[in-house]
Amino acid sequence: MSDNNDIGLKIGDACFANPVFLASGPAGYGIEYANYLDITKVGGIVTKTISFEPRKGNPGVRLQETPSGLLNSIGLENVGAEYFFREKIPVLVSAGVKPVISVAAEDWGDYRKLIDFIARQENIEIIELNLSCPNVERGGMAVGSNPSLLGRYVRHAKDLLPRIAILAKLTPNVSDIARLALAAEEAGADGITAINTVIGMDIDISRAKPVFKRVRAGLSGPAIRPVALDAVWRIARTVDIPVIGVGGISSVDDALKFFMAGASGIQVGTALFYDPGLPARIIEKLEAGGIPPAIKYSVDKTERKDDDGTAPHNSST
Amino acid sequence: MSLEKKRPFTVRIVENRKLSPSTYLIILERPNDFPDPYPGQFISVRVNDQTVPLLRRPFGIMDINSETMTILVKAVGPGSTILASKAAGEQVEMAGPLGGMPFSRPGGKDVVFVGGGTGLGPIIFCARSWKREATVGKMHLFIGAQTKEELLEGLYEKDFDQVYTATIDGSSGHKGNIVELLEEEIEKGGIPAAILYSCGPRPMIRALIDRVGPKFENHYTSLESVMACSLGACRGCTVPVIEDGEKTLRSVCMEGTVFRAEDIDWEEWE
Repeated sequence: MSDNNDIGLKIGDACFANPVFLASGPAGYGIEYANYLDITKVGGIVTKTISFEPRKGNPGVRLQETPSGLLNSIGLENVGAEYFFREKIPVLVSAGVKPVISVAAEDWGDYRKLIDFIARQENIEIIELNLSCPNVERGGMAVGSNPSLLGRYVRHAKDLLPRIAILAKLTPNVSDIARLALAAEEAGADGITAINTVIGMDIDISRAKPVFKRVRAGLSGPAIRPVALDAVWRIARTVDIPVIGVGGISSVDDALKFFMAGASGIQVGTALFYDPGLPARIIEKLEAGGIPPAIKYSVDKTERKDDDGTAPHNSST
Repeated sequence: MSLEKKRPFTVRIVENRKLSPSTYLIILERPNDFPDPYPGQFISVRVNDQTVPLLRRPFGIMDINSETMTILVKAVGPGSTILASKAAGEQVEMAGPLGGMPFSRPGGKDVVFVGGGTGLGPIIFCARSWKREATVGKMHLFIGAQTKEELLEGLYEKDFDQVYTATIDGSSGHKGNIVELLEEEIEKGGIPAAILYSCGPRPMIRALIDRVGPKFENHYTSLESVMACSLGACRGCTVPVIEDGEKTLRSVCMEGTVFRAEDIDWEEWE
């Protein structure tokens, strides 16, 4: 690859050689894709979300394809924090990969235990708070869709992990995602990841039942790209911290659109399943041509409100 | 984790032969550095460069030599229908060989294979591999289909010591399903109590477990599942199993595709 442009990215104090990441979930624990792509070439890998205790995830069908999309009901199945830091992280680090550690919690107590645990680990530069997964009963979206709760979780992580950069991953399943971004920024987040999956469902007509045991599932893939792009566009014009765009990126051009919308970085998720060479092609394009600047388009910043996340009154209409 | 090459390869279709109204035998060129697969392994094919269908499709390997590999494709959904429509000379992207650790060889024992649908491909590969290695005794094939056309007669007879057929419409062999026929043959005493290897639709596997499973020393079954990554990363294709009394989940793509049938937790796995 050429090296004509500096395409490095800084989030808080965490530095990355380029702004292209593998997204949490599809990328597993990071090492699985070593057979498919050069995992050392991406800016970082956002590892599968971990919780303090191991999670079994959801029963029943977990995947269902939709037109240009994928519904999943995996439910944050993971090996738990202790096993993850003991067995998974060393493998990634020794392979020359920069891990971004995605974390989730069932409730506030569980979250505090997890953050305490992370505070005792060494050499962690950045975590991504997954407070927006639609596939779990507790924690997840319930926290991430409430600005004041989200702020509380972000602030706690910042207080206990002063040297670690904090990314807040946001749910699109709210009326105003920019308000959530603002709440995260005010609580000290170093960056925003947008978006998590869009809630959807499907029905198996032969069984006259929902496809998924939990009924609702998370939609990803190209089908949600316009939703993700809109979220990045709005968030980037609301907060001053870097925004990492994720949602349906399946070509180099898609990635460029996210940068033009105001993203400082992007994550490739579902596309890894069918086009694992995509991250390398995006990096090559950015190295050759630089990162396209965000489109200049002035809008009023979202006003701060201590409310329940309802859309702010927009006086500029 | 094995670090064998599994990276996506672009390969040419050498031949696409229609075997029945819905089943196609597709021969793909074998890339130079494509490792030798073992029974139960599969390839995952991206059928076009669009996002509909979105995911790669898994196909059990039916045969392989130094130049080519063969898969059976039943045109049932959008992905398999697009692949089945491709002509010789066209290219597709595929990755493989995928699948977990090899399962036990029969160690000279007799094996009863039971197949339905596209389960025939992996069965043929398994039989040919074991025969080549001389690790198997007599091999019996029980193959079921809706109609005589779907039995794909002529494709596999030479690979087995004895073949038994069943069709739902009665157009060939036993009229009814293949599990009934196997039960009947066991009653007659003509089937050795050895290894059972099944590959086919879930109800067929369930019926085998319930009705003839205890007659065999071991029952291995090759499972199908919707797969996304095929690498064990996403945990989308898991099957619930009970191992040593513990309930757990195993990914079909990496910890399968072949499982001991009695380990599957059918209560959980609807």
